[in-house]
Amino acid sequence: MANDRSGSEFQFPKWTNAIRPLATAALLGGAVYTVVLIAYGLSPQTTNVGYAPEQPVPYSHAVHVSELGLECVYCHSTVEVAAQASLPPTQTCMNCHNSVFPDKESLAPVLVSYETGLPIEWLRVHDLPDFVFFNHSAHLTAGVSCVSCHGRVDQMDVVAQIESLSMKWCLDCHRDPDPHLRPRDKVANLAWVPEGDARELGATLRAQNGIQPSTSCSICHR
Amino acid sequence: MNESKRPSHWRSLRALEAGDALRDETRAEFPEGADQAPAALSRRRFLQLMGASVALAGMSGCRWPRETIVPYAHRAPGQIPGETTSFATAMELGGVAQGVLATSFDGRPIKVDGNPGIISTGGAAGPMLQASVLELYDPHRSKSVLKAGEASSWQAFELFAEEHFAALKASGGEGLSILSESSSSPSLTMQRKAFLAEFPAAQWYSYEALSRENISAGLEVAYGTRLRPRFDLEKCQVIVSLDDDFLSDHPDALSLNRAFARGRRAESGHMNRLYMLEPGFSITGGMADQRLPIKASQVQAFLLDLIDAVGGGAAHGEWAHHPFFEALRRDLLAHRGKAVVTAGARQSIEVHALVALLNQELGAPGETLHYSEEKLDPSGAASIKRLSAEMSRGRVKTLLMLGGNPAYDAPVDLGFADKLGTLESSIHLSLHANETSALCKWQLPRSHYLESWGDALTWDGTYCTTQPLIEALYGGKTSQELLSLLIGEGRNGYDIARAALAERFPSSDFEKFWRKTLHAGLVEGHRSTLPAPPPMAVGLRHRLAPPSKDEGLELVFAGDPKVHDGRFAGNSWLQELPDPVSKLTWDNTAQMNPATAEKLGVKDGELVKLSVQGQDLTLPALILPGLAPETVLVNLGYGRKIAGPVGEDVGFDTYVLRASAHMGFAQGLSVSKAGGKHTLAMTQDHWLIDAVGFNERARRVPSLTREGNLAEYKKDPHFATSHEHHPPLISLWDEHVYEGHRWGMSIDLNSCTGCSACSVACQAENNISVVGKEEVARGREMSWIRLDRYFSGDPEDPGMIQQPVACSHCELAPCEGVCPVGATAHSDEGLNDMAYNRCIGTRYCANNCPFKVRRFNWFDYNKEIGETESLVFNPDVTVRGRGVMEKCSYCVQRIEGAKITAKNEGRPLVDGDVTPACAQTCPADAIVFGDLNDKESRVWKMHENARSYSLLGELNLKSRTAYMARVKNPNPELVEDSVEHGHHG
Repeated sequence: MANDRSGSEFQFPKWTNAIRPLATAALLGGAVYTVVLIAYGLSPQTTNVGYAPEQPVPYSHAVHVSELGLECVYCHSTVEVAAQASLPPTQTCMNCHNSVFPDKESLAPVLVSYETGLPIEWLRVHDLPDFVFFNHSAHLTAGVSCVSCHGRVDQMDVVAQIESLSMKWCLDCHRDPDPHLRPRDKVANLAWVPEGDARELGATLRAQNGIQPSTSCSICHR
Repeated sequence: MNESKRPSHWRSLRALEAGDALRDETRAEFPEGADQAPAALSRRRFLQLMGASVALAGMSGCRWPRETIVPYAHRAPGQIPGETTSFATAMELGGVAQGVLATSFDGRPIKVDGNPGIISTGGAAGPMLQASVLELYDPHRSKSVLKAGEASSWQAFELFAEEHFAALKASGGEGLSILSESSSSPSLTMQRKAFLAEFPAAQWYSYEALSRENISAGLEVAYGTRLRPRFDLEKCQVIVSLDDDFLSDHPDALSLNRAFARGRRAESGHMNRLYMLEPGFSITGGMADQRLPIKASQVQAFLLDLIDAVGGGAAHGEWAHHPFFEALRRDLLAHRGKAVVTAGARQSIEVHALVALLNQELGAPGETLHYSEEKLDPSGAASIKRLSAEMSRGRVKTLLMLGGNPAYDAPVDLGFADKLGTLESSIHLSLHANETSALCKWQLPRSHYLESWGDALTWDGTYCTTQPLIEALYGGKTSQELLSLLIGEGRNGYDIARAALAERFPSSDFEKFWRKTLHAGLVEGHRSTLPAPPPMAVGLRHRLAPPSKDEGLELVFAGDPKVHDGRFAGNSWLQELPDPVSKLTWDNTAQMNPATAEKLGVKDGELVKLSVQGQDLTLPALILPGLAPETVLVNLGYGRKIAGPVGEDVGFDTYVLRASAHMGFAQGLSVSKAGGKHTLAMTQDHWLIDAVGFNERARRVPSLTREGNLAEYKKDPHFATSHEHHPPLISLWDEHVYEGHRWGMSIDLNSCTGCSACSVACQAENNISVVGKEEVARGREMSWIRLDRYFSGDPEDPGMIQQPVACSHCELAPCEGVCPVGATAHSDEGLNDMAYNRCIGTRYCANNCPFKVRRFNWFDYNKEIGETESLVFNPDVTVRGRGVMEKCSYCVQRIEGAKITAKNEGRPLVDGDVTPACAQTCPADAIVFGDLNDKESRVWKMHENARSYSLLGELNLKSRTAYMARVKNPNPELVEDSVEHGHHG
């Protein structure tokens, strides 16, 4: 019987010998690919950490905040009541620059905007996707400082993105907000550090103010 | 349920007959070919619908788009970028102001709601009002001045006007005629006076295709002066409507809805009783406790019999022995002073005079009925007929038209369009370039009400102001501004509106009064009511023309609940909204009842040729139960020839059948089969599932909408649930406990009329796409809240009940478990969330949803939307792309917004802080939303109400949306045997 069948017995064609090395290569390649993909996805370049574009006016937060002592909300005046912190209207710049360095060359776009009524086109640094709905006022009310997301802007000459702004990063804080909570009046004080344990203080504040950050989808995605 | 018996409720005639065709159609949830791209032709059509712009955004090479932030150079005080602001204004429709609260986002209006300051409407808005914001951004609006069809400018027109009108002035305005839309605007009246002072010989006419002229003319016959009737429905025990769809087709429908609903709260134990006699089937008919389909021509005969019977005499007419008549007569006599009779605008002047007589007999004036002076000009057929006659005689050299579209909607026997084309000089001010502007020498763009200063009076005479929310997009002008320009005065709308207000309400501190009025949008406490009507003419009963004889088939003309007289034909939200009764989108038809259709040998969707008095038209038949025998009803406003790509060639132009002698209905109709069929995109039979599902659906239908009558309710307030039979409901899982908010909704079927305002409001709020007729026919419509219409009882004389269905946010949601990627998940407040970016489009969730409320984006409906149209988008809601499932979110953006506001203000959230778009706009206040964990909240009390029931409660879904069963109040004399509700399951 066996002999009868031998003629029609299935034999793997020659080329199938190549499968083994190919499969090995694919497996190894796949592993490398996965590692590279993850590394690439998490790299600062991808998440845009460190992004610090040149702005139309070389406005320095370090000078205005650290040296001159301007408050964050002097310019970002809607941050406590609205979703957007909002950039100041040109009018706000001119409150001082009417008399301070009115002729400085780098300030020319400000003067032009003030006179023509056309806006200055600033470049957005912290850019969330359009399907994410972030509200500044809610976070300030809860006692989350500017510094938690934007870093020490008061020391920056050119504003740079310092956090990844990824969903994981948002969720980390929504799941465990304690280390990031501070008294309401210290929210805009970027240099402030708690005297004791930040986590302990945060826990107290959270209980006091009834802060329960949600991790439901619709909190950010609508 | 007994198989041999007819079910008590059914979805449609097709479903009732359980036709095999429908069964075949329902094999799959999504019909055959649902995933195929639209064919080339329809694709092009589709792109046009979406208002495709030529230039698509430049493809950017970089992965991270560089976005700019452009702050104001000078920000207005109090302005907060990215936050919405509301302004009170008003939209005028048919000479009556509808108070509006318009929401603006960074300087662009994105939503229109009712002005809550108008107490009688409580912030409600109807479908047209809701959709009016889309009209503002319509890319096919009239954009520039055209001279004989060629591009021109306002400067050129001004030069022409200066010369032309100077010459006219010399002759005192001889040969000058003005044709205006109906308008109650005090500033327009003021400008008109100034204009006519310059041109004393000029003739002023008004025309509305859906004029309510017969009513005031009828009251003039009765009382000697033009009057406007206003009903106090809250006080009524008995309401008799003779062909009057007052809950939908009435300028004051919003307040009438509210008052009607308040007058029939089952809990109070007192319910009004609505008797409806009508040739068609309207949503008012659907709300009626007793309904009699009656031919339009027979209303007067019925009315005469009723007057005789109520007046103590004997009725001799053929109706006198009808059981309905007898019951109605007794009910009216038992409720003198608490009853009111109303007749529809399409009924004759004689009918309206007789209605006044009957109301007088019933002691209605001063109690349930108030009269006020009718200040609107006569705007019926007679008015435009006079103009047309003048044109024939060559006495009109210059015709100035302020709005309107007479070349399309004037009575066909006038041949208005032909005459218009031969005029020496014609000027048309219009929001859209339409059939009329195409025939005019000058086409002028008119500004939209959201771009205009002005004013208008509401139905009860309240003075409303109109203010612009945005600079005129295309440099349009208002009628007032144009008139001012033509007399060389050239005032702007702002000055005119201020002057008119100052003239009407002189005030020592006018600036303060002006600001206060603008803020409120109205001047409070100035309704116009006559204390008592003047004495009635004597011998009215026998002085009027006798009723018309019954002469076989009749044609009834009806205004459209969506496109009105055709002016909204270019509005895709309204075109795609299913008709409240027929559930038809993107079309109009010849409606007839099954018996008439059988007699004529006509089937659903077949083309028929209607001929009446020498005019004919071929259009598809639609068989709808509940219409009067020998009646064919057509909606006006379709078949537009020049209306932009959305409105053109949608449906059939039924104005070609409408002559000045029969504006309401025509006798002597003949109908013949024209051969061929027409695809009708109807939504009522959509969202069925497979054959098993089909059978199950049919079995379930009677338990979906539950209704009983007042007697049953009084006997057993829990009648809605006391017949439910199902095994004990046990969950497979440990159930989640909701400690914070527990959002829920309640929908009262006793108040809901099915007007569909909620559906349009939802579309505006949630950026819901329009898909077009072909797509709707494939079952791809996107509406998040649909109105299910069910008929009940005898197909020749059925009842109707409407049920809004949106996502119920089940606590044990079947959709969530089957999503392979966790794109739909429960929030900690019990919302069934959709994370669009996670969705990969398997559509398992939609398959598993028992309510069929999930909608799938088969295509990138938003990708090619034009720049102007995209301005209407709500920035708080994601615009969805292709391959993504979407559904009602309970307006989660509003919930989160309200929570944040409350937290920022350091206060707890209170009941009423969150109102979804549907609940906000509901004229009948049928939808209530709130926190079910708050035992003081309205929604909790409604959930606890005896009438409350869950849809498909036996599935143990723990729906957050509950329905309240409807209670009808039929006349006990007319109740045959007990309604077989509740014996289901």
